[in-house]
Amino acid sequence: MAIPSHRDLRAACLWAVATLVTVVVSDSVFLRTIVGAPMVLLVSGHAVLRALGIKTNSVSEHLTYAVGASLAVAIVGGFALNAIDFLTPLGWAIWLFTIAIGAALVADRRTDTPDLPTWPAPIRGNLRQGTAIALAVLLATGGYALAIRDEATHRQFRYTEFWMLPSIDNSGRLTVGVRSAETQTQRFDVDITIDGRPFAVFRSLILAPGETWTRQIPVPISADSQKAQARLYRPDDNRLYRSVSTLVPRI
Amino acid sequence: MTPARLTASTEPSLLQSGIQIVSTVIGPDLHGGSSDGPTRPARCEWIAALCLTAAVALLLVVAGHAAGRRAYDVAPLLFWSGVVLLVVPLSLRIGWSGVARGERLFLLLLLTEALFYYKSVYSPTSFVGHDEFLHWVATDNLLATRRLFLSNPLLPIGPAYPALEILATAIVNLTGLTLFAAATLLLAVLKGTVVCGLFLFYEKLCGRPRIAAIAALVNMGCSTFVLFESTFSYESLGIALCVVTFAVEAASRDLDGRPRLQALGLIALLLASLAVTHHLSAAFAAVYFGTLAGFEALRRGPLRIEARLAMGFTAILAIALPLVWIEAHGNPLTGYLGPVVEAGFETLLGKIMGAPSPKSEHLSVPAQPLAVRLTTLMAILLLAIGLATGFFRTLAMTAPSVGRTGWRPIQDILRRRWRDSRIVVLTMFAFGFPVSVAFRLTIGGWEIGNRMGTFAFIAAGLLVAVSVVHFWEGHARQRIAAALALVIIVSGGVTASSLYPIHGGYRVAADGQSVEPMGIEAAQWTKAWLGTGNRFTSDRVNRLLLASYGRQDVRLKVVEGVAPARVFENETLGPDEFWALVRSDIDFLLVDLRLSTAPPVLGFYFEQWEARHGKKLSGAELLKFDDVKGVTRIFDNGWIVIYDVRGLHGNS
Repeated sequence: MAIPSHRDLRAACLWAVATLVTVVVSDSVFLRTIVGAPMVLLVSGHAVLRALGIKTNSVSEHLTYAVGASLAVAIVGGFALNAIDFLTPLGWAIWLFTIAIGAALVADRRTDTPDLPTWPAPIRGNLRQGTAIALAVLLATGGYALAIRDEATHRQFRYTEFWMLPSIDNSGRLTVGVRSAETQTQRFDVDITIDGRPFAVFRSLILAPGETWTRQIPVPISADSQKAQARLYRPDDNRLYRSVSTLVPRI
Repeated sequence: MTPARLTASTEPSLLQSGIQIVSTVIGPDLHGGSSDGPTRPARCEWIAALCLTAAVALLLVVAGHAAGRRAYDVAPLLFWSGVVLLVVPLSLRIGWSGVARGERLFLLLLLTEALFYYKSVYSPTSFVGHDEFLHWVATDNLLATRRLFLSNPLLPIGPAYPALEILATAIVNLTGLTLFAAATLLLAVLKGTVVCGLFLFYEKLCGRPRIAAIAALVNMGCSTFVLFESTFSYESLGIALCVVTFAVEAASRDLDGRPRLQALGLIALLLASLAVTHHLSAAFAAVYFGTLAGFEALRRGPLRIEARLAMGFTAILAIALPLVWIEAHGNPLTGYLGPVVEAGFETLLGKIMGAPSPKSEHLSVPAQPLAVRLTTLMAILLLAIGLATGFFRTLAMTAPSVGRTGWRPIQDILRRRWRDSRIVVLTMFAFGFPVSVAFRLTIGGWEIGNRMGTFAFIAAGLLVAVSVVHFWEGHARQRIAAALALVIIVSGGVTASSLYPIHGGYRVAADGQSVEPMGIEAAQWTKAWLGTGNRFTSDRVNRLLLASYGRQDVRLKVVEGVAPARVFENETLGPDEFWALVRSDIDFLLVDLRLSTAPPVLGFYFEQWEARHGKKLSGAELLKFDDVKGVTRIFDNGWIVIYDVRGLHGNS
């Protein structure tokens, strides 16, 4: 059945208003996605097609052209908004609102606006087929969720990060840090030397996987360059595990 | 005398029958096996069954990745059985005769989106492809600064083509989605648009939904369809805009007067968008529309001045808009594409002429399982047969004497009499397929062949589809063979899309296969503890991670004329490299000791033109900075080490 002329234009205008309002008043990602994504990818292009008076022969043709036109509208919008320094959520909402409303008004005034293509007859299916399709959607969604979970939990490398940094403001402090990404809780010792001389020691730091230990250590600063070195030991297997160094800022 | 007479009479008849066979095989006969069968209404039971099959198939693919991550032997079995279950039933149904147009189109969309899902579950929460990182960095910069045209050292030409970043930003800004989610949504829509656009384009050209569906299906056999054109990269948008433009232009061929002008308006809008989206897609559209206008000017027969003017105007737009855009940005294209094209042609010509091949051509290509290689080879062979048997048949489709037997339709074409120049142009463009395959056989020309294949397949799809319907399906038994051939062609697109399609462990210098949590966390550490925007250099993969996760300012050169490879290679830092570091403004070097565990999968660790292509680095080479005065080792996780080199140039 062909859609009566201009009802779709009113729907496009309403959608544009809804997008603008949602962007202004709502922080809900779900709501904004439901309203905003079709606005960028379909609705604005549909309004432009109607304003241009493009006649399409099938719904698939109309949708394809509408997506293409929407992409073009958004690309032009990007340049326009950049020119006026308004590449913000509100800027985008106003741009798409303006295009959709403007195009709908142009299409509404046209006398030769072609009707939309006829919708194809709905496919008749039974409950079993409906269940099969619902199950397919469920399986695909579940599969994606499994893939996400698997990616998040699987780690090939187990390691401990160890670092030493000079202070940014030359305040004579060094930052030493350890972060464990091991499989189990481990015990560490940290030895710090300055120009080869023992300076600080931290014994038996217990770190569970995912835990971080950091210390800011004041160091004497001098006119000469000094090299600070830190070593991370694993006392359980009596092993030098990591070694880092940095230059102590000069006066 | 009798035997002599027999010989004399047999020889010409053998020759004649040989010519007859060849003529039957490659000739323009459109009669054999052309029946499409009566079209029935869309069958819900088929749609439901195929949706369920596709879902089970995708679940097997997910299970294959999970097993691959754990290095289980069952991984290939799970993964490839999923691929077979996905491709075979859907391809068979799409290509089968008597299926409703709507059902074909729905199943094409289902297969396309299922293949996109297949690509997405490799890395379901983050970008992993090399080019995706380049565009991620650019989009992140756009979102943070709200300004276009910011420089992107990883992709110097990127700022001149910001359309993809604009679209992703629009979705992120309006919806509040993360960039990855917004990009995935955009790509899913783009994939659907490409396949619908292709179907509509072919349908307009040949007027038969079945040929259109088969042609769109054959397009999925392109090695770039499954992965490369599904990545968050400007070519994914470029090809979508290209295809929609072609479809709109083809649909407007019978329009006159105002409707034609209205269609031209839409074409102009799409071409302008294409010009700022992707250089190669815009170039392909320019070549297509330019050639189309040329062939239309050559065409004899009923003249439609308005149609010719419209084609000419479209060609002018398609050529002028990208040129104007390139000139407006100081022509960055020559420096970007020039070396790639030059190297590709040099390598290919060298191979043809038997010249000694460059060092980069001696790399051993990672071995794939035999069945996978066989599928790819079979697909290429079937495509070649399809092109050979479809070339004259496709031309005959547009000849005025299409109903006539023999070579009469081709004679018409040679006399410049045809009905639709688009079909003639596409038939000529199909020659791009063997050329793209030849380029893909060289390492230097692989990139050209890969990009070229995308566009060559638009033409090849039509020829193979015409061949399948009008020649391969001569008899009922051949109908099954033709359907299986289509399955192999589509499967070839999957097998040729990636060297390592199953998620496995970390691999050295293998782009996506080298991206894993430890490298990502090291890059995130730089952001958390060093702040953003520090000048870093490293190997190719860690540069991407530093620029994206670490938001660092990564450098592809230490100083002008000194690439990072020169600094990282060799067991001691030579005076040239040392002084290059001293003169540079590099703050930090990131060294990944995993590089010393194996030779680079892609042949290089740092950049394609590095001197010791394919040779393994040693730990001593990478750790030489420990002994350089003024350099300190500020971070170490056992595999990844960060050196602070600011002490070399007095910034510390």
